[in-house]
Amino acid sequence: MKTGYHSLVAAAMAVLATFAGKAEALEVPKGQVVLTVRAPHLTHANVNGTAQFDLEMLEALAGRTATMETPWTDGKVSFSGPFLRGVLEAAGATGTALKVRALNDYAAEVPMEDAETLDTILATRMNGQAMSVRNKGPLFLIYPFDKDQNLFNEKYFSRSVWQIKEIEVSE
Amino acid sequence: MTLRAAPGSDVIRRVSKATAVLQVFAVVLLLGLAAIFVVIIQRYSTLQDGIRENALWSLYQLDRETRKLHEGVHVAIVEGDETNETWRLASQRYDILYSRMNIVQQGHFDRKLGGEQDTGPMLDEIDASILKLEPIFDEINRTGAISIDALRQVDAELDVLMGKTEGVLVYANTAVSADRAEARAALLSLQLKSAGLVGLLVVSVGCLIFLLTRQLRSVRAAGLSFERMARDLRGSYLAAEAGNRAKSQFMATMGHEIRTPLNAILGTAELMQLQPLPEKIDAGIGTIRRSGEALLSILNQVLDFARSEDGKLTVEVQPTSVVDVVTAAVDMLRDRAIENGNRIELEIPSPHRFPVVETDPTRLKQVLLNLISNAIKFTEGGTVTVRLEERLNLGGARLHFEVIDTGIGIDEEGIRKLYQPFSQVDASINRRFGGTGLGLAISKEIVERLGGTVGVSSKKGVGSRFWFELPVIETTSLPAPAAVATIGPLPTLRVLLVEDNRVNQQVAAGFLKHLGQNVDLANDGFEAVEMAAKNDYDVILMDMQMPNMDGVEASTRIRAMSGPRSQTPIIAITANASEDDRKRCATAGMNGFQSKPISVEKLRGVIQSIAPTGLPAPVDDGLPAMNEPSFEARRQEIAEVLGEDGFAELLAHFFDDAAMLVAALEKAAQSGDGATRDRLLHTLKGAASNVGFQMLADECQDMRQRPLTVETVTEIQSMIDDCRRRLAA
Repeated sequence: MKTGYHSLVAAAMAVLATFAGKAEALEVPKGQVVLTVRAPHLTHANVNGTAQFDLEMLEALAGRTATMETPWTDGKVSFSGPFLRGVLEAAGATGTALKVRALNDYAAEVPMEDAETLDTILATRMNGQAMSVRNKGPLFLIYPFDKDQNLFNEKYFSRSVWQIKEIEVSE
Repeated sequence: MTLRAAPGSDVIRRVSKATAVLQVFAVVLLLGLAAIFVVIIQRYSTLQDGIRENALWSLYQLDRETRKLHEGVHVAIVEGDETNETWRLASQRYDILYSRMNIVQQGHFDRKLGGEQDTGPMLDEIDASILKLEPIFDEINRTGAISIDALRQVDAELDVLMGKTEGVLVYANTAVSADRAEARAALLSLQLKSAGLVGLLVVSVGCLIFLLTRQLRSVRAAGLSFERMARDLRGSYLAAEAGNRAKSQFMATMGHEIRTPLNAILGTAELMQLQPLPEKIDAGIGTIRRSGEALLSILNQVLDFARSEDGKLTVEVQPTSVVDVVTAAVDMLRDRAIENGNRIELEIPSPHRFPVVETDPTRLKQVLLNLISNAIKFTEGGTVTVRLEERLNLGGARLHFEVIDTGIGIDEEGIRKLYQPFSQVDASINRRFGGTGLGLAISKEIVERLGGTVGVSSKKGVGSRFWFELPVIETTSLPAPAAVATIGPLPTLRVLLVEDNRVNQQVAAGFLKHLGQNVDLANDGFEAVEMAAKNDYDVILMDMQMPNMDGVEASTRIRAMSGPRSQTPIIAITANASEDDRKRCATAGMNGFQSKPISVEKLRGVIQSIAPTGLPAPVDDGLPAMNEPSFEARRQEIAEVLGEDGFAELLAHFFDDAAMLVAALEKAAQSGDGATRDRLLHTLKGAASNVGFQMLADECQDMRQRPLTVETVTEIQSMIDDCRRRLAA
């Protein structure tokens, strides 16, 4: 029930985000670029055929705050940031699979369903603080472990990439 | 017969025991399996708890990031590159290394890596080394510039760090491998254990199946043997029953064979008594008749018992006046009671709530006669009380009959033997009192057939009380009493008598001729059919059992003829008056039924029932109406046989005898000789009733109970004179 409510709210936000994305073309980031989205066809590309985001742009998108335990942190931690699907829509990226790449060039394959059906967020803040690279920043792909215990296993741990710098969408 | 089932049941018992043991064993095994399963589940749940970032992977990443940083720094030093790009790259590499360090230092990182040794101190050293670099990189970040010197410093530190991270990685790999091997071994042992248990379980289930199969086979064998036994038993039972049937059939045949000559004897005796005979011979013939009748009654009892054993004792219920039946039974035995010096008393409730009930009057009378005659037999100079009560119980109204005597009584052991077939209280009873010992058994059977119960209480030397109770089945209608046969001159009919036995032929023909009938004789069914076709008869008296063609067959053929002769009334005459016989007679189209032995009275009844209606009224013979009816009846009866002259002669004899008897009585009254007095009165009574002077006979009987005086003798004399006067008038 609760989950249903949440997904309803999320869907509503996604729709709003879509309208927002369409209303204004993706602006050129003013601050330091923290995320680059690449795709064969990118409708809202802003820099050299890619969609680049600074922290401010990401935090302007619809998202959620989730409190949970993870294998990589001590105790309960709250993560907040935009929904992954919101980010992809803002970039105008469509496809079936994502390759999420970290600063150390570690990359994980993430299916598009994880973005569409799960409330995955690109966390920008941990416990309200922006995350430094030393502290797994700047972006951390967080699965909704708080909503669905079944996600709490190695399959999703390996997709939970931190120190994200780039998302590559494939058809 | 062998009991083949016994070994089978033994096998079943043994197998059942083994089955029970195996079942317990299987349950224990299942419990063991469940325990192992619980252990495995616990293992998995700890594994689940332990879900965390792969420690080995983290340490590998730590080592890798250290090497990357070292590589970057080393290349920068070699190339002497101090550009912005260099410091940014180096700084980021350091940040990543730093974050990697954080992962292995955080709370739930398994520092033992499943092994024995704690990697904590090694990790702390690595942490310290990395933190030592922190001020350098902080400085680089702050100034936005990098110097080769600083890089050399970092390089030197990283050389040491690389050794450490590699050491941890190697150790971790060893520990994790060992842990994995151990876990595999533990799991294998659990699997082996459970496999062992499963194996045992399979074996025990196999044993169970084997045993159950054996058990089933035994059960089937036992069932078959029971079936065989049942079949054998049924065969034996049928054989026994066939034997019993043969015995019953034999008894019935013998009964018939005995009854036929007996009927001839009785009939001949009756026929002879119809003639005027010298007194001595008459008395002898009387004895023959009485003995014959006694023999017939015993024979009937035996046949009744044979029928009751065969389950063929029939009762035929009809609306019955119980009081009439009881009164008739008592009246029949009153003379015998008096002969034994007993008083017989009848107590009947008045008014009757149930004057008419549904029961079998003939059988009821049979039971009463049996009980009353027993009471009379075993009582001398006492009282026999016959009592009828109507009792209202919870179960409904019941008629309670009691016969109480003041006779010899029965002790407790004797009471137990009562109502048993062939039993008399003791052998001496039989010698003293005679009897078949079947009467009570038959009575009990009859009462039970009528839905009642019997009982007895007695005290030796004091008397006995036999009782029985019948349920009251109320009915309202009493069938119209059979028209009382009017005593009058019989019409002369043409009678065809069908009888194979020559003596019976003679007797019956003699009776019929005395009744003024024209008799033709047929020796069997064939002759009967032939004669009935040729001549007009008013009635055919048909014996049932005959050689060549029996009565039923002959009747069927006669009814199948054409013409009015086919409708000649046929009356069956038979010794076995069973219900079956009656039905067969009715089916064959016979009109009536008469049981043997045949007597004049029975034949008279038959002739009267057949006689066409509208007979001429009895002719008035001119005798004064003053004469009592019993005399008139008797006169006619005798006159029919002996003729009017014969009757007159008889009367003359009577008056002569009476004069002599009265004279002797006078003498006895004077001398006070009681025994002679009683004998004389008895003789006079008999003689008086013989010629129909019933009032005189009753008076004589009455006087036997009173003291004899000269006055009473005078009284008798005057009564005799009255009779004579009336005749003369």
